[in-house]
Amino acid sequence: VSIRLQLLVVALTTLVLPWAGCQYARELESALRGSQEQSLLASAGTIGNALSAQPQRVFRNEDLRAFDARSGDLYVHPLPNQPLLDGYAEDWGIPFDLVTLQSVSGYHARVQAGSTERYLYIYAEVDDAHFDAEPNDVQPDDDRFDRVDVRLQSADGTDTSYFFATTAPGLNAAQHVTKDDDDARHVQAEPRIQAYWLQTSQGYHLEARIPFSFVGERLWIEARDGGSKRSAGFTPETESAGGRLFFATDGLDGLLATFIRDGTRATVLDTNALALGSSGSVAAEPINATADGGFNWYRALVESDASHLPPATTGGDRRGADVVRTALSGEPRAQWVRGDDGRMLLTAAAPIVVDGVARGAVLLEQNAEQMLALRTQAFARLFELTLIATATAVIVMLAFAAWMTFRIGRLRNAAESAVGNDGRIRLTMPESRSGDEIGALARGFERLLARLNEHAQYLRTLGAKLSHELRTPLTIVRSSLDNLESHGLRDEQRSYIDRARGGTQRLQTILTSLGAAARVEESIKLAERVNFDLRELITSTVAGYRDGFPATTFALAQPDDACFLRGAPDLIVQMLDKLIENAADFCPPAGRIHVRLGREPGNYLLAVDNDGPRIPAEVLQHLFESLYEQRSGRDDKPHFGLGLYIVRLIAEFHGGTARAANREDGGGAVFTVTLPMI
Amino acid sequence: MRKNIAIVEDEPALRENYSAALARHGYAVKSYANRHTAMQAFRAHLPDLAIIDISLEDEAEGGFDLCRDLRAASAELPIIFLTARDSELDAVSGLRLGADDFLTKDVSLPHLAARVAALFRRIDALKRPENAAEIVRRGALSIDGEKMQTTWKASAVTLSLTEFWIVHALARNPGHVKNRQQLMDAANVVLDDNTITSHVKRIRRKFQQVDPAFDSIQTVYGMGYRWVE
Repeated sequence: VSIRLQLLVVALTTLVLPWAGCQYARELESALRGSQEQSLLASAGTIGNALSAQPQRVFRNEDLRAFDARSGDLYVHPLPNQPLLDGYAEDWGIPFDLVTLQSVSGYHARVQAGSTERYLYIYAEVDDAHFDAEPNDVQPDDDRFDRVDVRLQSADGTDTSYFFATTAPGLNAAQHVTKDDDDARHVQAEPRIQAYWLQTSQGYHLEARIPFSFVGERLWIEARDGGSKRSAGFTPETESAGGRLFFATDGLDGLLATFIRDGTRATVLDTNALALGSSGSVAAEPINATADGGFNWYRALVESDASHLPPATTGGDRRGADVVRTALSGEPRAQWVRGDDGRMLLTAAAPIVVDGVARGAVLLEQNAEQMLALRTQAFARLFELTLIATATAVIVMLAFAAWMTFRIGRLRNAAESAVGNDGRIRLTMPESRSGDEIGALARGFERLLARLNEHAQYLRTLGAKLSHELRTPLTIVRSSLDNLESHGLRDEQRSYIDRARGGTQRLQTILTSLGAAARVEESIKLAERVNFDLRELITSTVAGYRDGFPATTFALAQPDDACFLRGAPDLIVQMLDKLIENAADFCPPAGRIHVRLGREPGNYLLAVDNDGPRIPAEVLQHLFESLYEQRSGRDDKPHFGLGLYIVRLIAEFHGGTARAANREDGGGAVFTVTLPMI
Repeated sequence: MRKNIAIVEDEPALRENYSAALARHGYAVKSYANRHTAMQAFRAHLPDLAIIDISLEDEAEGGFDLCRDLRAASAELPIIFLTARDSELDAVSGLRLGADDFLTKDVSLPHLAARVAALFRRIDALKRPENAAEIVRRGALSIDGEKMQTTWKASAVTLSLTEFWIVHALARNPGHVKNRQQLMDAANVVLDDNTITSHVKRIRRKFQQVDPAFDSIQTVYGMGYRWVE
């Protein structure tokens, strides 16, 4: 596995950064929510305290009896504007808050009430699949048609009954039974009370408008089916205690508006958890960050699913909300709930304490969406930044890895090629000036190479040194033999002397060849260059070899014209000597040595090839190195692997090269020397 | 009168062997181990011939210094360098310092004795009147075998003994190729091919100092040299 890959894997650990960022965001989100709760709770408390200082502006109704929808008590929603009488409550501008009327024999009806400055509005939905129309000549006791009875009780205790019925759906006036002077009862329309009858597939809607001049403290509603004797609702007979109307406090909305800010709705509730006033809206304002259309990482990351939360309560009666119940018992509380739109909503409620008793509560509802959106935006930025940081780290590490790999590779290449094909050792390494471990490694290599070079140098000069140092003792032996010979010797003594002389002779030869390379190197230093004809030199030299190696056939191929070369002819002859000696050593008896002189662009090519064995490929590249010897001892001549080294030295002195190859016909080796032309 | 020969050689065994051999040939031999003892003795009495090793004890080039001192003391004193070294550079340095000959220790004792005798013969011959019979003439070249003197176009060419014998061997049979072995035999020396080559080079240069057009010694590559007229 390459260092590059290893470092890439290491670099991937920086991915822990975004992960940590996410963890952090999650923690932060939870802390922020906590603080949001605290802050909203504090706001609720503040508003509660402020309101408790002026109870007269908050609590209009001194009736502290419990609100009881089952006995017909009705909460009257304050309406923001005047609705149209059209049989629909959608234009009331408040959430639906229908109260189911008490059913008699399975007749169902729901009702809600609202008020503007001058009117009380009643909206009723009655489930009645069969429409029983009012006859045109309705009689006071006639009840064989669908009708909604409304009985109003004024402050002085007198009741007035009206009923809504129609011959055809649409706008019509309320009717009531009156007595004329003859005490005869008539059904008479009351045009000041208007209603709209809307027939639907399930039944009908009735939207009625009653001026406040008709309205007293109590109001009973009853829906009656004309076909059967079924009904739903209340009458003073059934619920004498009920039918009370609970109103919001005038002016409280404006007071509350001074306390709240956007995205928050404040509602003041009385002890019955009925809204006395409210202000503000929890509708989420459109925010840019959520409009980017993409997958919202932050929402996915933090807990933003509201489905497990309790639903928010709406409408006039807020007893359903835990926070409200807790606040009305005197304790402030905050809670996350699920809003109408399915999003999270923070609610907080605080009691309004008057004279040590919780007279009501302030309920604050805050849209969490806005804060969440801001944090989403911030988180998106954070996420981007950590991603950029991670990517940068990975890229930098990769680049660093590539640089390291490059340096190590360079060092490795240098180490591999430190000992050249010619056996020379390059002593300097790349990177050795770097201060780091790679530099130390390079310096280590350099020291190693220096040692190796010393050793190689020692080996190279060993031959010359040996040849020099052994010469004196050899001379002592020889001169002693000379002296010994001059004293008359007996024959058997002479034969020993001769053997000793033969031994010294061989030693002499060995020493001479040991020192040969050193002498050639020295000759090269002193050599003078002259212009001479290489062709003529080769002709005469090869003629000499024919005498010197009678067992071998020499073939010579040369150009027809003169080949002028600038160099040292003596050295060239010596080079040829070595090439021929080498060829002759490997040439079988009666074999042929082929000497060719040719031209290539800029160079002369001098090739000597011989019959004989092939040279193994691994030997070929080392042949021209000093002290390289790879031959099985076939003769008694000493070989120190200097001959071809001398060939190379001389070729290089002339600016040429020496190389060896096997003959293409497989019959032997060919040694080629290139020599540059003048 | 017996000739006095001084041998300056730091190797005792060699010193003794050379002394014994030369004494056997009738010379009075004195041997010295280093430059100081030799120089002391030479101040008192100059020998007839000095045979000097180049490296003497701890002085790697003590022989050269000694040669210079001796040459300063006497311009005529024949000096032979005898050394284990065989490098061309040494030979050139030695001969430039005024040595008469330069032999490697590979030389056999009989050869050494012959060289010494030849050197004395040359010195003696120089002191005697001219003997025409020994003179070889080849065109502009004349070689006096007796005095071992060479002239080219009537100008004397100063050759060392080895060089003299090489020229002598070549000029005696003009046109004949003499290989290196033959030249070595003629000069009574054991040299390797390179040294013969450098001797020949030096001979040419000496002739060319007298006559820049000199071109009578021809190289026959791979074989040897010949004298052409």
